[in-house]
Amino acid sequence: MAEETKRNGKPETSHHPETDPERGDKNYYGIPPIKRAHWTWQIYVYFWVGGIGAGSHLLTVIGHLLGWRDEAFFRTTKYTTLATMTISPVLLIWDLGRPERFLNMLRIVKLRSPMSTGSWALSLFGSMSGLVATKRAAEDGLLLGDNFLSRLAKLVPDRLVSVLALPLGLYVGAYTGILLIATSVPMWARNWLLMGPTFLSSAVSSGLSWTSLVLHLGNWGEGKTLGALKKAEKIVLAVEAVLIAASLVRMGKWSKPLFSKKLGPLFVGGTLVGGIAAPLVLLSGKETRNKSILASVLVLVGGFLFRYVMVVGGRESADDPESYFTFAKKDGGRPEAGSK
Amino acid sequence: MATGFLTDTTVCIGCKACEVACKQWNQLPADGYEFTGDSYDNTKQLSGDTWRHVAFIENPKKKRLTGDVDLVALAEDVKEDLPNGAELDGLGRWTFMSDVCKHCVEAPCQQACPTGAIIRNEFDNVYIQPDVCNGCGYCVPACPYGVITSVPEDGRAFKCTLCYDRQIDGLEPACAKACPTNSIMFGEVEELEKVAEERVKQLHDRGYPQAFLYGTPEVGGTGGIKGNHSKFILMDVPETYNLPENPFLPQDKVAGATVASAVAATMIGAAVVWAFRG
Ligand code: SF4
Ligand code: SF4
Repeated sequence: MAEETKRNGKPETSHHPETDPERGDKNYYGIPPIKRAHWTWQIYVYFWVGGIGAGSHLLTVIGHLLGWRDEAFFRTTKYTTLATMTISPVLLIWDLGRPERFLNMLRIVKLRSPMSTGSWALSLFGSMSGLVATKRAAEDGLLLGDNFLSRLAKLVPDRLVSVLALPLGLYVGAYTGILLIATSVPMWARNWLLMGPTFLSSAVSSGLSWTSLVLHLGNWGEGKTLGALKKAEKIVLAVEAVLIAASLVRMGKWSKPLFSKKLGPLFVGGTLVGGIAAPLVLLSGKETRNKSILASVLVLVGGFLFRYVMVVGGRESADDPESYFTFAKKDGGRPEAGSK
Repeated sequence: MATGFLTDTTVCIGCKACEVACKQWNQLPADGYEFTGDSYDNTKQLSGDTWRHVAFIENPKKKRLTGDVDLVALAEDVKEDLPNGAELDGLGRWTFMSDVCKHCVEAPCQQACPTGAIIRNEFDNVYIQPDVCNGCGYCVPACPYGVITSVPEDGRAFKCTLCYDRQIDGLEPACAKACPTNSIMFGEVEELEKVAEERVKQLHDRGYPQAFLYGTPEVGGTGGIKGNHSKFILMDVPETYNLPENPFLPQDKVAGATVASAVAATMIGAAVVWAFRG
């Protein structure tokens, strides 16, 4: 910016953007009027990992509900949720400026702060799904045989706990989107209605793909399970495609960062084509193990890239004065007055 | 009782006494010694280490200064013809503005804060409790004015405290105390509103119809932040000063977004049930 500007023969008065044609910046020297979030890799990795955990838990509950008996399936979904809910808090605490104070998150409940409700949901959901997985581990003999702990774990009413944990788990899948919209960042705030649903659909598709991937790789699971997973993957991917398309329409010109030189290839190639369209085609044709595995991997990569471009795109959106000023105009793009 | 600032940019001379006074009183570190080339503004913006920032805006006019100029008239920007056919427009004008936290009536940063570190204190100012903040940084993108900022070296978020410590001892904030032109006024919000109203009217009478008060409920009023306790008299559109015209309260959308997500969760859940039943 300023450093690169040549000043030979430039106006007598100033180096102001308006009078210095060699300056490319607009508004107040091109300085962003809002500050971007500091979030880096821990956050988009968490968005992804947490989503997989939330999606897997939904599968656990639905499997129980339908009276499935496929042990490999439940093992996969329950241990997945346990693992992701162990990793997630680590990533989040890592991201804090003062990690030793992470417990302050649970000092207070603030319904209007998604960061607060999300932390609560994650803590409660993590603990409850932990109980469910511990019972599973006891049944699988992973708690070192028949000891006190494993007998205690077997007493856990796992179905009840997992049903109770379901709304919390789904919220963990969705609030990551709500977290983004409750800010002043134009690209995020503009899409307030659909960001949560879109993140949730991506969480469920990632959970399905992860489960299917594990079962295929291990040659586990009944044929019926694999077929059901495939069918669900297709439907949820279609829902996700519709939600992303509607989000882009809603974001309008404020979606520009998603199509920037840096993020465009990742978003279009990685998420839209690679993460949704290609898996849909792969899953629609004749079923083979390799095709299913490839489709699952593509969905997981696409889901990760979706979160990456959303977080990093928000950074670019916040750094663009033009985008914020047009958004925060009286008749600009900011959320409608009055509507809740 | 709510206290706040009224910053009258029309009398600001860009001396940066407020910036310095703030840094000294609050023991804030320097921002480095960078020359930006952006007029005389080497501070650039508010940050966790800079709680007052003087903006330098140059309004150069297109025409050259010719003839014999009455410098007093020039300084006062008299609109009438100048003696001896002089034209006034050559040098243009300065606009300065000492920016600060707006102390929003419904503060987005406070609503965003998950730890409850950000509170309204007994003076109705928006205050971060440094012993509670855990540095999640969520308040930063929530602020519609780019005020509150994380300090990486420290980990926590910081911004103007409206000199909470000085107010407790009955002193006015350091910036207001240091300001030599009284561009920065401190007092009760209601009192300051009266002062502002009078001053804007005076400016209108003197031939500056563009003067207006920024920070009233109309600014961001419909979007829910309900105005600011720290207001500004401006002479140009807000964007000139790097301020948004009509900011909004991001948290107004949380309830709606949550309902939408619940509906989506039900539908997606039903779709998976349907698929699993085969
Ligand atoms: S201007 Fe920003 S930092 Fe200051 S009270 Fe309002 S939201 Fe908070
Ligand atoms: S960084 Fe500190 S003040 Fe800001 S939202 Fe997080 S806990 Fe609250």
